[in-house]
Amino acid sequence: MTTTLFIQSLLAGLTNGFVYGLIGLGISVIFRGTRVVNAMQGDFALVAGIAACLALDWLGLPIAVGFLGGIIAGALVGWAVELLLIRPTQARGGSEDSLLLVTLGGAFAVSAAALLYFGRDSRSMPGFGGNRSLDVFDAAIRVHAVWLIAIAIVVVVALRLFYQRTPLGQSILAASIDPEGAATIGINVPRMRTLTFMLGGAVGGVAGVLVSPLITIHYEMGLLLTLKGFTAAIVGGLGNPFGAIMGGLLLGLVEAMAIVFVSSGYKDVIAMSLLILIMIAMPNGLLGRRGRVGG
Amino acid sequence: MSVEPIRAPAAALLTHRHLRRLVGATLALAGIAIWAALPQVLSRGTVDLLVFTALYAIAGLGVAFLLGQCGIVSLAQSVFYGIGAYATAYCCTTWGWPWYAALVIGMVISGATALVIGWPVLRLSGYFLALATLALATIGHVLFLEWDWLTGGTLGVGGIPQISLFGLVLNTPQKFYYFIWPLAALIYWLLYNLLHSRSGYAMRAMRDAPAAALVLGIDVHKLKVRIFVLSALLGSLAGSLFANYVSFVSVDSFGVDRAVSFLLLAVVGGAQSVIGPLFGAAFVTLVPNLLSRVGDVHPLLFAGVLVVAVIFLPQGMGGLVTTLWRRLWPPAPPAPGSGT
Amino acid sequence: MTKLTDPIRAGAWALAAGLLVAAAGPAMAQTAEPIKIGAVLCLTGPGAGLGQAERNGIQLAEEAINDAGGVGGRPIKVLIEDDGSKPDIAKQKAEGLIFNDKVVAVIGGSLTASTGAIAALTNAEEMAEVALTGLGPAVELTYKSLYHVLPPQSLNAKAMLEYTKANKLKKIGVLHDSGYGQLVFSNLKTMAASYGVEFVAVEKFEVGASDVSTQAAKVRAAEPEAVYVIATSPVPFRSARQVKITQPIISAIGSSAYDYVRGMGEFGDDIVFPEFLVGEDPEPQQKAFVELYKKTYGALPKNYEAAGWDAVNIVAQAIAKAGPNADRQAIAQAMRQPFKGVLANYDFSAADLTGIDLSSYVFSKLVKGQFTRLPFKVGS
Repeated sequence: MTTTLFIQSLLAGLTNGFVYGLIGLGISVIFRGTRVVNAMQGDFALVAGIAACLALDWLGLPIAVGFLGGIIAGALVGWAVELLLIRPTQARGGSEDSLLLVTLGGAFAVSAAALLYFGRDSRSMPGFGGNRSLDVFDAAIRVHAVWLIAIAIVVVVALRLFYQRTPLGQSILAASIDPEGAATIGINVPRMRTLTFMLGGAVGGVAGVLVSPLITIHYEMGLLLTLKGFTAAIVGGLGNPFGAIMGGLLLGLVEAMAIVFVSSGYKDVIAMSLLILIMIAMPNGLLGRRGRVGG
Repeated sequence: MSVEPIRAPAAALLTHRHLRRLVGATLALAGIAIWAALPQVLSRGTVDLLVFTALYAIAGLGVAFLLGQCGIVSLAQSVFYGIGAYATAYCCTTWGWPWYAALVIGMVISGATALVIGWPVLRLSGYFLALATLALATIGHVLFLEWDWLTGGTLGVGGIPQISLFGLVLNTPQKFYYFIWPLAALIYWLLYNLLHSRSGYAMRAMRDAPAAALVLGIDVHKLKVRIFVLSALLGSLAGSLFANYVSFVSVDSFGVDRAVSFLLLAVVGGAQSVIGPLFGAAFVTLVPNLLSRVGDVHPLLFAGVLVVAVIFLPQGMGGLVTTLWRRLWPPAPPAPGSGT
Repeated sequence: MTKLTDPIRAGAWALAAGLLVAAAGPAMAQTAEPIKIGAVLCLTGPGAGLGQAERNGIQLAEEAINDAGGVGGRPIKVLIEDDGSKPDIAKQKAEGLIFNDKVVAVIGGSLTASTGAIAALTNAEEMAEVALTGLGPAVELTYKSLYHVLPPQSLNAKAMLEYTKANKLKKIGVLHDSGYGQLVFSNLKTMAASYGVEFVAVEKFEVGASDVSTQAAKVRAAEPEAVYVIATSPVPFRSARQVKITQPIISAIGSSAYDYVRGMGEFGDDIVFPEFLVGEDPEPQQKAFVELYKKTYGALPKNYEAAGWDAVNIVAQAIAKAGPNADRQAIAQAMRQPFKGVLANYDFSAADLTGIDLSSYVFSKLVKGQFTRLPFKVGS
């Protein structure tokens, strides 16, 4: 095995890990604030990617503005999902499974709508730094991928500070941990839940606009991203923003190493088996009990 | 439905119980009559959909049982459905085995797999367990693809012989309908009895009060593994019959999306009631078919219908039916000394 | 249930037919009962890229045939159903078409699995199925009424190897997906030695993978002279170029679609496809179809559009030969003859149920997102 190959696989694992982590981050944000496992997190990313793509293609906006548009679109979809799907389900006493299933229905809807209105094409989208790559010992990493990693780290740290330092973040946590108690001290619990979904949608939007230039936009991508993100979030611990990124990195790197050292055909078998083993060996998640239970 | 007021309370109870049974029996008879008449009235294409409804109802019952009785979200049913289908496909085409032998082999392999995997995995709970079953579905799908000497990979296996019963080949949806539905009814009846047996109460104790169940000396883990194996057996059975019925199998039928549709069926149908998955199976088979006549927008419409169904029927369709039934004919308190 | 919804379906078809009449104008003033042909395509789900393209070709052919007076004085009507890319649903839809709508032949499916599920039915009924896929499992060879308008994967593999050999390339790296790519590769593997080709690295990835750069890096590390990329997605082409595989890429027909090229973006460069139709520079017998397609849809057709077009024409020709009132079996048997199509020259009496040979292949090169037809032909 050459050094180039090893480094290339590390870079690929790292990039994919942050991609999975960003999706997982959105899942963990929403879980943290509402105790809902959102099966349409990848579709938030899809919507954001499409919005950004249209903004860049049709309106000819600069990349950063187009990306911002995508993130706003993600937040709006998050808001709509909370209003149209989550709230009515909970009002009628839907169980956890019902909540999972309405978001799954939402995911089907987004994917079907994307095929219907956006088309069956895969679309490539320009990223930061165009298509330029950096050379690392003859291995290549897209400049955009470096941006993705940097922004992901910024987002995680910002989320951490948001929950720990700001009154709003604290209110969101309080509303989630003890809704009745929070209500008695004057926290508007429903609004906190809406905000949580908007925040989750925005994080999904960040993921969408950052991921799309790397993997192209396609109507089927939402659920695939969700599955990877779900894995990342659960392995890392649902309650901790860092957890999702850690879980994502673990998954990305295991996949890359499985390809290099074992066989690309069995990549998913290896990654998934390892995942099951980790869960059995560490029943509290990678970041320990507090990490998993969260809040 | 005016029941005349009767003075003696014991007589009232008796009358009520009898009336309830009478209506139940009448409904059941009418149902059977309608069931038997359907293939004669409906077109072949529609009967075909009803056959698929029964197949999915059997496999989905396993998922619903896990969900409703143990609170386990299983996304692994596609694996057992696939094992059953491939066992039938391989044994019947390569070795020329009769369908029932292949079916039994499939169930043995599925049951053993479920036991070996379930034992460690069912120590997990909550989202970990859901993710573990999702991981199993992924692994299963990859292996079905990779072991193409067995499964035919993407090409699939064709020419699987149809079921022959006492010289009668079940080669039309109508004939298969009269075979699969009594089988499905038998399975539902067995599971209904299981639910109202000792084990059934143990399961409910485990679901609703795990701590109490432990105190009562119920081996929760063992019970979970048993139900997981049972669920796998149902999936495998449905898969084998599916292979015989369609006489072609391919890996496209055993992906994660299939597992998701089994789970969807269980939730939409209502996992708490035994009859629920039946409605769920009808939902996932018939609704997309009806909607697809509208045009390319149909998957979007299906998603919409699905969301509306989940929101408005939190207990599932089975829950709705049970509620209606109870409201029309509230169960009387057990008669003294009847000793159930 | 069916009776209840029949008016809805009838209404939808009346609407569709009405639109067609409006589009076709007075030429379609036929009053005879139309001949019904069924089609089961992947219009939604992962295979939508195939099915929607095929539908365009099918509808174009339907319109063209009816404009020209139909078949034996009767217009044709293609009832198109969507299987959502699932074989079980393909079977259900085929049941409906064959037994409810009483179609005389079935076109489809778009994916190998759908074709197989439908074939179990059409074979029992001895009616024609014109599949828009290559040959499926070996049992299909025993079927007497199944025909394929796309070549078996062994032939696609041969076409790739012919081009490789002609360009004196020997050390090849392979990057393929686990679906279509696996099918083509398993044929490549058995034939490579006879073409003097050696596979120095073979890497696989799952259908729908969002990144395959590690696999691509492994291929690159083996230092091949050229790379085969076989997948139904633009992702591996992007990954290959991103990890600096600069060698020529040779692909297969399944990857040749504008849907994918758009996703490749600027990475869609120096890629060769052995295929059948280059809309930018069609062969003489393809020109009329390409012109008509361009006029109707305002875009260039590719292989799957032409496959849909050919399928309808194959059925129509068989009906014409068997007579407009012939039964299904007669129509299926009338199909067992050579047919000069837009996509290829077929011979449906051939053992492989298609009769396409290497001379029908054209080779195109994608340069900066643009297809150009290469002068190379097999045997030239």
